[in-house]
This record gives sequence, structure tokens and C-alpha cells, in this order.
Amino acid sequence: MRPFTWLTPETTEEAVALLRAHGEGARVIAGGQTLLLAMKERLVGPSHLVSLARITDLAGITTEPDGALVVGAATTYAALTRAELPGWQRRLSEVAGDLADRPVRNRGTIGGALCAADPRFDMPAFAVGVDAELRISGAAGERALPAHEFLVDAGRTALGQDEILTAVVLPPLPTWDVVVFEKFRHRVFDAAIASAVCALRREDHGVPASLRITVAGATPTPTVVLVDAAADGAAAAESAVAAVRLDSSDEATRYRRELVHTLVRRVVDRAHAQQGSV
Amino acid sequence: MQKVCLTVNGREVSAEIDERTLLLEFVRDVAGLTGTHNGCLEARCGCCVVEVDGDVVKSCNVLAVQVDGAEITTIEGLAPQRLAPVDQITTQSLAGVYRPVEAVRGTPEDLHPVQAAFHRCHAVQCGFCTPGMVMVLKDYLEENPEPTRDDVRRAIAGNLCRCTGYQHIVDAAMEAAAEMRGERVPDRPTHGSTDGA
Repeated sequence: MRPFTWLTPETTEEAVALLRAHGEGARVIAGGQTLLLAMKERLVGPSHLVSLARITDLAGITTEPDGALVVGAATTYAALTRAELPGWQRRLSEVAGDLADRPVRNRGTIGGALCAADPRFDMPAFAVGVDAELRISGAAGERALPAHEFLVDAGRTALGQDEILTAVVLPPLPTWDVVVFEKFRHRVFDAAIASAVCALRREDHGVPASLRITVAGATPTPTVVLVDAAADGAAAAESAVAAVRLDSSDEATRYRRELVHTLVRRVVDRAHAQQGSV
Repeated sequence: MQKVCLTVNGREVSAEIDERTLLLEFVRDVAGLTGTHNGCLEARCGCCVVEVDGDVVKSCNVLAVQVDGAEITTIEGLAPQRLAPVDQITTQSLAGVYRPVEAVRGTPEDLHPVQAAFHRCHAVQCGFCTPGMVMVLKDYLEENPEPTRDDVRRAIAGNLCRCTGYQHIVDAAMEAAAEMRGERVPDRPTHGSTDGA
């Protein structure tokens, strides 16, 4: 690990000021479960680490008057797992409780996963899958971006050097009736090789009105697949495979293509089979 | 350099350390408690698990400066007798059992039920993974008193053991869970023969 200066601001404004003051070499650290691994390998060597641990309002979950769920960026997976969330928003708890392992979930944060923008991570897939909005604080003020615009490339986000991701906002409950998440990994604590999210909204008579399918792991950033709202699993899987464009014929790519096909078919069939709003 | 003060197993330990010092290094080299093992240094093997303010973490992937002021519990802190120094490394000392014990049971003065069950069920072979296994299982069983064998396997997914094939560790966890629920456990180990048990 390369030497660095440790900084512990108490407010978001202070943290932003520190990032601005120390320029390119400064990095934000929340739980550090991804960043520290990279630092030990010397893949990154920040000159200053700005810790979010003392900024208390960055962790925790609140509900807005319109039903949107505001999840602080420094909320740990363990806290998300314990949260009692309503309707489909509960999927967030389930996804957080079924990734990495128990000790890592106690340190790792939702915001950390999004800022790492690793294509194999579940949180970026889920955030894009349910069309979450990300709140960002910076020297120039506050802004918000949809998750799919925030994730620019594998390991790259739209965050400016002096900006901090402050919250992940899940849309209000009526946005979706059913959200289904599936992933494939070899061992329980591995990151996913591929994952798929299906978010379904129905009209009053139960007719599908909108179907949002997101595929992650197989592409540098999660890919939203455009399909007809009534599409069944098989049809959606064909569209997804075409959309992710895994054209190469080598074995690893062929395997991923197969996973994408299977996972999308499963999430869509499961979503259609679920009655009511869950 | 940065001053860090941690409470390790109830004892206050403070030192001026390099910012890069991992919690693992602080526990082993500054606090002098070598029960916490350095396995892979990349948060995979789980040999370095300790509790920070009641939550288990992999101490090789946490900076000591990140947890300044926290209460740390290590394998040595699970029951008072294990605060005594180790004279000789044996299978028992690796399980955190410092006295020769026949069919030990967990009692507050003696052993944590998970340690006692590890000893009874022969869940220790080389013993390198044992401190992490015990810490994670203790934390897990406190939260989930009635696990299935499958739940236990998921709970220790982040802990690698290259000797036991996990069978005896899962046996031990099931026995420890029973003891922690207040049930009587047999004097002799009862090995679950299948995972469907």
C-alpha cells in the first residue's frame, strides 16, 4: 500500500472541500471493502483518503412523502439486510443479504459498490434495474442522476473529482408491482458472473403495462433491454442476448451468453407468475 | 503517523501508527494478540475475523484508523481463561482451549459454547482457520439461534478451511447452537452423517 494522509470530515460539505483541496490524489473511503483491496495490490495509490465514517447523515434509510426510499450512500449491506422495507423495495434487503459474506456485509456499503462500478456487483445492477436515482453533492451544489447515467464504464462513474455520492433513491412503490433479481456465481461469496433484474408494472386489470429488464455482469455497465411489456421469458431472453451483443465465439463469452439467456428467462417468468404487488 | 486508541478485549490499547496499518496488524503486532490469523490478506479466507463494536469484520481489509475508538473482541476475548498466554501450541490452544479439557461444555468461566463444540466435534485440524470460524459462528448463532445445516454453511461462506471439508465444523455449529438455546448436549460428539440432517 502506498502512503496516504487520513482525513475524517464531519460533514459532507467539509468532505467535498477536502476533495477539492487535495485534487486528483484524493479518494473517498466508506467501508473500504473494494478500495482497500485495490490499494493493497497498488492498483490505486491515493495521496489522501477522505473517510465518510463520521458523516452520520450519510448512513440510514428514510422514506420521502411520495414513497421514494432514500438510502444513504454509506449504509452498509448488513443495515440494508436488517431494514424492514415495504413491497418490492424489500428486494433491496434480499439482494444486500445475499452477496459477499457476513463480515464483508458489515463493512461494505451500497454507495461504495456503485462508485466502484464493478460490472459484477449486485447493487449497480439492482439500482439500474429498478431505475433508481443517485444524489450527488459537490462543490458546485447538488445534482441527481439516474443510475444508468451514473455508471459510465467498468470502474468509471459520472462523479466529478470533488463530488460525493450521498444517496440512492428507489422510486415510490407504485412505480413497479413486481421486482425480481437473479444472479449466477460459482461460490456463494463470489461476485456474480451475470445477473438480471426484471421490474414489472401492471395496469388495473393485471395486464402488464411496463417491463424493464436489466442485464449486468456480461457488459461493462448494466444494460437495459427494451422489450414489449407482454413479452414472456423466452422472448425477453432472446431480446436480452441480442442487446448485450456478446458476439465473440470463445468459450467464456458463449458461457455468459447462456447465463444471460437463462437468467432473463427466469426473472421474466417469475415476475409474470407473481400475483399482486410484491 | 496517526494516534489510534482501541479497546481490545476490554483492555485499552493506543499507539502512534502508520495510516496503512491494518486492523489485523494492530491486533497482532500492537495489542500482541496473535490468535487472530493472517491468512490471505485479501478478505477471502476469513482467518482474521474479529468483532468491531459487536459486528464481525475481516480485519485484514479494515484500516486501524477506520475503527479508531471502537471496541474490538478477538478470539482471545471470548471467555476469560483464554486471556492467559499460550506456552505451547497444540490443537487445543488453536481452538482457544488453553487447559486440557475432557468433553468440555461452554460455561462463562470456561469456554464459549462454539469453542467447546469445536473441541468436542473435532472441528479443528491444522487450526489456522479456527479463530475466524469461531468468531463468525458466534456472531451468526447469536442472531440465528435455530439454523439449519445449510444456513450454517452460508454463514461461513467467507471462511475457508483446507483440512476438515467443513463437515465437523458444521457439526460443531449445530451442537453449539443447541447449547446456546439452552439444550443439553451429549458428552461425546455426535457427527451428522449427512448434510440433510
